[in-house]
Amino acid sequence: MALRFWRGGLVLGLAFVFATAVASAADTQTDEFVQTIVKLIGEHDKEFRAAGLEQVRTAARGPAVTELFVAQLPKLDAGGQIALLDALADRGDRAARTGVLNLIGASPDENVRAAAILSLGKLGTPEDVPLLVKSLAAPTKAEQAAARRSLIEMPGESINQTVAADLLSASPDVHGALIEVLATRRASDQVPALLGATLDDNVRVRRAAMAALGQLGHPDQIAKMLPGVLKARKGYERDAAEKDVAQVCERIENPDQRGAALIEALSTVDAGQRDQLLSLLGRVGGKKLIEFVAAIATGDDAGRRQLGIDALSKWPDASVADTLSTIATKAGDPAERAQAFRGFVKVAAARDNRSDKERLERLKQAMKIAKTPEEVSLVINRVRTAYDVDSVRFVLPYVDQPEFAQLACETIVEIAHHREVRDPNKAEVDKALDKVIATSKDPVVVERANRYKRGETWQRPGRVSR
Amino acid sequence: MLADAFEALKKFDWGTDLSVLSPIDDAAVTAHGDPAVSQELENRLLAALKESLSRDAHDYACRKLMIVGTVASVPSLAGQLGNKEQSHMARYALERINVPEAGVALREALGTVSGSQKIGVISSLGSRRDAAAVAPLGKLLQTDDPAVARAAALALGTIGTAESAAVLQAALPSANGDKQIVIDGLLVCAETLLAADKHAEAKAIYQSLAGEQQPRLVRLAATRGLLACARA
Repeated sequence: MALRFWRGGLVLGLAFVFATAVASAADTQTDEFVQTIVKLIGEHDKEFRAAGLEQVRTAARGPAVTELFVAQLPKLDAGGQIALLDALADRGDRAARTGVLNLIGASPDENVRAAAILSLGKLGTPEDVPLLVKSLAAPTKAEQAAARRSLIEMPGESINQTVAADLLSASPDVHGALIEVLATRRASDQVPALLGATLDDNVRVRRAAMAALGQLGHPDQIAKMLPGVLKARKGYERDAAEKDVAQVCERIENPDQRGAALIEALSTVDAGQRDQLLSLLGRVGGKKLIEFVAAIATGDDAGRRQLGIDALSKWPDASVADTLSTIATKAGDPAERAQAFRGFVKVAAARDNRSDKERLERLKQAMKIAKTPEEVSLVINRVRTAYDVDSVRFVLPYVDQPEFAQLACETIVEIAHHREVRDPNKAEVDKALDKVIATSKDPVVVERANRYKRGETWQRPGRVSR
Repeated sequence: MLADAFEALKKFDWGTDLSVLSPIDDAAVTAHGDPAVSQELENRLLAALKESLSRDAHDYACRKLMIVGTVASVPSLAGQLGNKEQSHMARYALERINVPEAGVALREALGTVSGSQKIGVISSLGSRRDAAAVAPLGKLLQTDDPAVARAAALALGTIGTAESAAVLQAALPSANGDKQIVIDGLLVCAETLLAADKHAEAKAIYQSLAGEQQPRLVRLAATRGLLACARA
């Protein structure tokens, strides 16, 4: 019994010695590996350094090794520090955080600070949010952009709340940037804070808040967004705010219910302010709203009529075309008629779900009631939205009228740009293009006509081909 | 049906409808697990190769021999190794026919073929990872033809044994002209060894190439290799 025990102890002892030896050999091998990586990190040759950084990203795991890599940061030049920070961020070991924070505080190089700030997006903790918020107002754009990206990328449920808590105390520029961060983080839990910001006195803050709500808002919040629309200055800000609300309305699947939801939301606004929101109704559109807005556009109050026609002109489809056509035909006031005519042509040319032939028919209808050369020109110009050979036939006679010739030539080449129109009707379209070439004074139009005749395409200036 | 297909093979050429040969395709599938069908198909293919076939028909026959070929196919295929038009597809079949005689035929061809056919034969010996070819390939490292020497070095690398590594290492100091040819072979050899979990052998090669006296890109490749060895 004693002998068996002794033998057992010997076996266990030998096993321990063997295991220790194996572990020691493995440690030595690991040390050698890590030291090779450290040596490579310090290389000035970028490709050797990259070989080491690749290992920093993916190999030799563990906080002790991470700290060893971090300890190399002060020994490197700026380029090396930036590259190592990027690799450490990809490594994702928060043991690197302290070293990164030290570098943010100590480095005189703005690009190094920016790289360190950027790495906090992966290595930081909620405690670092105040530093990142502060960095949004850093003196360089690189640091600001890095802070913004880190705030967007930093994981953690409490980050949204911490960022939102900083909104009120932040400067307007930082305030706007923080709202954009919340929007990109899809922080729908922070909508109340965003709604508050829609009434801010600073235009950037208001715009950021409305844009964020456009992305995150729920149809239940439409009424709460309306004060933000009213607060927005007329022009670009108001248009954008209306589009943001329309974007939220589109989240209601049934188009008829969108109008109902908007009318309900309007009931929460003072009667005097509702007229200012009429154009918003136009942007949302829908059958239910046509009657409501048409009644205003044809009512007794001239000021309200103008707002109503404006709203109809912003309709997202051609369902209000007949209403606008009737107003344009019957209006006594020339300015009102001209406004309705422009609106009619705009919705008639809308690239909605109608066919090109239907679109052209509407524009022919507009041409019949056009009274001035400006109105005729407007129709000729918009015919280019109907990609059909009939559109070429319709516009071609205007090439012979000097007053409209140039515009008609432009419209014909725009239609001929579409291969599906010109290829099946090559002989006829080529003939029209010959007429354009003989008539147009614009070398670009002539060049385009020649290209389309040769079966080539044309790239609009400023567009990058994919 | 099969007989008709082989008749069609005699007239087959680029642009002919491939469906006329489908009975041969079907037979090649059936041959898997049916030795009798396999042997009949091999015999018919070898008989076809004796005819004056178009290049496309020859390609087709060799592709099928790659599937059903045995030791019986080796003499016919070996006889084509020196033919400029037929050598490539003959090697295609010989590389994959898993009998030692195929390796013997390729090794013997080293002494009889020349030019691009020789380079092809060297490459095929590498692809077969023919350990018996290490010595003759080693001799070719010293040849004056750099294309042949390069092919031999890469083939020795692909064979990837301790012996082929030793031959390459030994050739390095005395390599005619461009030492880079041998270094490339060594790097391929190290990769082959690493892929076969022979880390110590691979590491030894990489260490021999990581010194400061080596060109920058060689040191870089060796360094990456050493890191890969350490991680494995």
